[in-house]
Amino acid sequence: MMDRRSFVKKVLNGTIAGSLFLVWPMGGNSIETPEEIPGIKGKEYDIHHQEFAFIVDVTRCIGCGSCCVADKREYNVPDGNYRTWVERYVKGFSDKIYVDSPHGGLDGYQHARTDIDEEIRDTFFVPKLCNMCKEAPCVQVCPVGATFISPDGFVLVDEKRCVGCAYCIQACPYSVRFLNPVTKVAEKCTWCYHRIRKGLLPACVEVCPTGARKFGSMKDETSEVYKILKGPGVLTVLKKEMGTFPALYYKGARREVI
Amino acid sequence: MDAAHSSAAMLVSNYVFPNDLHVHWSMMIVLYPYITGLVDGAFIIAALYYLFDVKSLRPVARFSLLFALAFLAIATLPLLLHLGRPERNFNMLLTPSPSSAMAGFGYIYAVSMGVVVFIILFVYREDLVELRATSKGWLQLLYRAMTFDSIDLSENARKLDQKIIRFLVGIGIPIAVVLHGYVGFIFGGVKANPTWSTPLMPVIFLFSACVSGISAIILAYIIIRKAKGRSIDHDCIKTCIKTLTLFFIMAFTFEMLEVFSHSYLKSGYHHMVEGLLNGPLASSFWLWQVKICSVIPLFVLGVMGIFTINKHIYNFTAAVVSAILLLQVLIMRWNVVIGGQLMSKSARGYTEFHPEWFDKEGILAVIIVMAIPFIILFVLSKIFPFWTPDNETNVK
Amino acid sequence: MDLSYRMRLLIVVLSIGVLAGGGLLFKQLLLPDSFGDYGPYRADAITEAALVPIRHGTNTSCFKCHSHEAKIHKKGRHQTISCEFCHGTYADHAKDGKKIGTLPVKKEKEITTLCLRCHNTEIKARHEEVIKTVAMPNHLKDQNVKLTHNCNQCHQVHAPLKYIIRAKQITGLMEAGS
Repeated sequence: MMDRRSFVKKVLNGTIAGSLFLVWPMGGNSIETPEEIPGIKGKEYDIHHQEFAFIVDVTRCIGCGSCCVADKREYNVPDGNYRTWVERYVKGFSDKIYVDSPHGGLDGYQHARTDIDEEIRDTFFVPKLCNMCKEAPCVQVCPVGATFISPDGFVLVDEKRCVGCAYCIQACPYSVRFLNPVTKVAEKCTWCYHRIRKGLLPACVEVCPTGARKFGSMKDETSEVYKILKGPGVLTVLKKEMGTFPALYYKGARREVI
Repeated sequence: MDAAHSSAAMLVSNYVFPNDLHVHWSMMIVLYPYITGLVDGAFIIAALYYLFDVKSLRPVARFSLLFALAFLAIATLPLLLHLGRPERNFNMLLTPSPSSAMAGFGYIYAVSMGVVVFIILFVYREDLVELRATSKGWLQLLYRAMTFDSIDLSENARKLDQKIIRFLVGIGIPIAVVLHGYVGFIFGGVKANPTWSTPLMPVIFLFSACVSGISAIILAYIIIRKAKGRSIDHDCIKTCIKTLTLFFIMAFTFEMLEVFSHSYLKSGYHHMVEGLLNGPLASSFWLWQVKICSVIPLFVLGVMGIFTINKHIYNFTAAVVSAILLLQVLIMRWNVVIGGQLMSKSARGYTEFHPEWFDKEGILAVIIVMAIPFIILFVLSKIFPFWTPDNETNVK
Repeated sequence: MDLSYRMRLLIVVLSIGVLAGGGLLFKQLLLPDSFGDYGPYRADAITEAALVPIRHGTNTSCFKCHSHEAKIHKKGRHQTISCEFCHGTYADHAKDGKKIGTLPVKKEKEITTLCLRCHNTEIKARHEEVIKTVAMPNHLKDQNVKLTHNCNQCHQVHAPLKYIIRAKQITGLMEAGS
């Protein structure tokens, strides 16, 4: 909440390029939260000169599951399959880690876990989604070229060519892929490519109330993700040892996060 | 050791990623490498006779080629049953992705099919020319096509046939190795899966393929000959068992080396592999694959190799050992394919697999798929005689 | 035909070659449009991915019509919450600027459940600087209200502190304007 707010304040103070006023209608005294990616809407999209990044701020995630709900609604994701999900990590005083994600966090986390015998040191939530690897194992293994990295850096699935062999599902170290039980082809998070192309934020970013999910263009030096990624803060990627070079970064993810 | 990363702490929650609950590669993908393995092993027997002149294998050489063909003919069937969109299977040939190991399948399969068919045509040419003369109607037309409409059985033509067979079998060996080694690589190349991602995987698959194929030939030869009330060539069985022993020692050694290297290297997510073999796979791996189906046959094969045994007992034991080894390879495929997928990529838990009966990848479908090659084999026996006539003279 | 055996075999080999070559040529004809424009995949698939219909609008798109709610929502603590999370997607409600369906409004206990999705202290992952949390039913006891009360009986859902601040101003606990 604060991040978005302070961001908006900066916009209002003029710290961030004034051109943004053209994108976000600022009516009266009301405070607008950024809902669009500047520089896309109404312009020709140059697919060869784009770079985007996604940052998940683990310290700000409250496990409300809004992102999961939005994601399911945006794509009508069939039950039991998840394009994105939120995990709950519970750390006991013995340093044991208990992880769960009932329904992928779709119903939120209404209650604390009751099956843990020891006293709990603390809890944190970790949202998961496609890592948009620059060296994507799923793309490498697809036998028919149905999964590919687009020139603007998105790992997408061509649902008209996918044969449904599920090799990409085996190859993905992050298990973000699933075989759609209706269409019988592989499906995954696209960071809402269709929204981005229209200048909108991914649905999960759009609905996140705390700013735990951040998305933006790395070609835009005024974007929040640009500033975080180029800044001094520590960011990590998941399963770095897999050599996948994700474009999804985690801020404040502890070493227990896999 | 750092508590947060010790195996116990990792596994305490048995957390499975929500998309990992379902095992995507199920029994059809167990069956597929099993079938190509049978093809490979049978082909090795034929190659030993036709290329390496192991004369004692003569009684089974032709049969093993037909056996290979029957199973090769249905090798794509489990894959089609497995695909989510089987009607798009030609995409594999149309737009094979240059980066994918799986993309080569269509081409490798087509080439191996062609090679096996032509080897059989040349091996059987003399018989086919004779059969052509005695057959009528459609069957005669078939025989004419299969003999390239030539009845030339002159000395020169026979010599040419022998050369062609040696050439085809010669290129057939690398093709067979590629066909099956590639299947192993499909698994070995998945870095996200700690039990699969080892360069040993193609090697293990190749050796166990030879084991299953040779066992199948021994068992089928003994059963069919017994059923038809014909004699069993003891020398042939002996050579087969010796070859089988060699390949099985290799296969078992590499299988154990894989487990050993996981537990010795302790790299990456080895705790998941350990937990898998000692947890969900404890009985199917250690008890069935290793103790019952590997150690016992190894011991029996040792006895058969060292001591002189009565012919009949030897043949009977050969059949039993072959049957156990056929089971061993099937269990090994199961443990690799299904077992590997039980580990969630969360590195914190294991999912479960319950085979269904009437699913398109269910138990019934498995039984049907495995029955088809035997029907094909029966049909082939009507066109190509399994056994060479000089076996007949051995009848006592 | 009276051809020698060698000749026949040569014809067989040649025809295999021709078939294979022809097959490879034919394969080129069957390649889908735009395949290989950017790499070994169908470039049109990118365009198709970009054309997936959008189901979530933005709060701005909701506020275009719902100006009353907009006024309250934008001033309140809940300004960062997406309208569509609680009410449903824009695509289910409006199309081409016309209303096509009524979105549900949460009532009574549903509201409490919805609120506690974020505001439950029981889950120890919600830091004070990110979100204000309460423990139930302690919060109701502390505020001296009935335990059957729903959150929205004190908190305006769009601006949760609206009535609270107003009440405090009226009772003099807080200066007007602060």
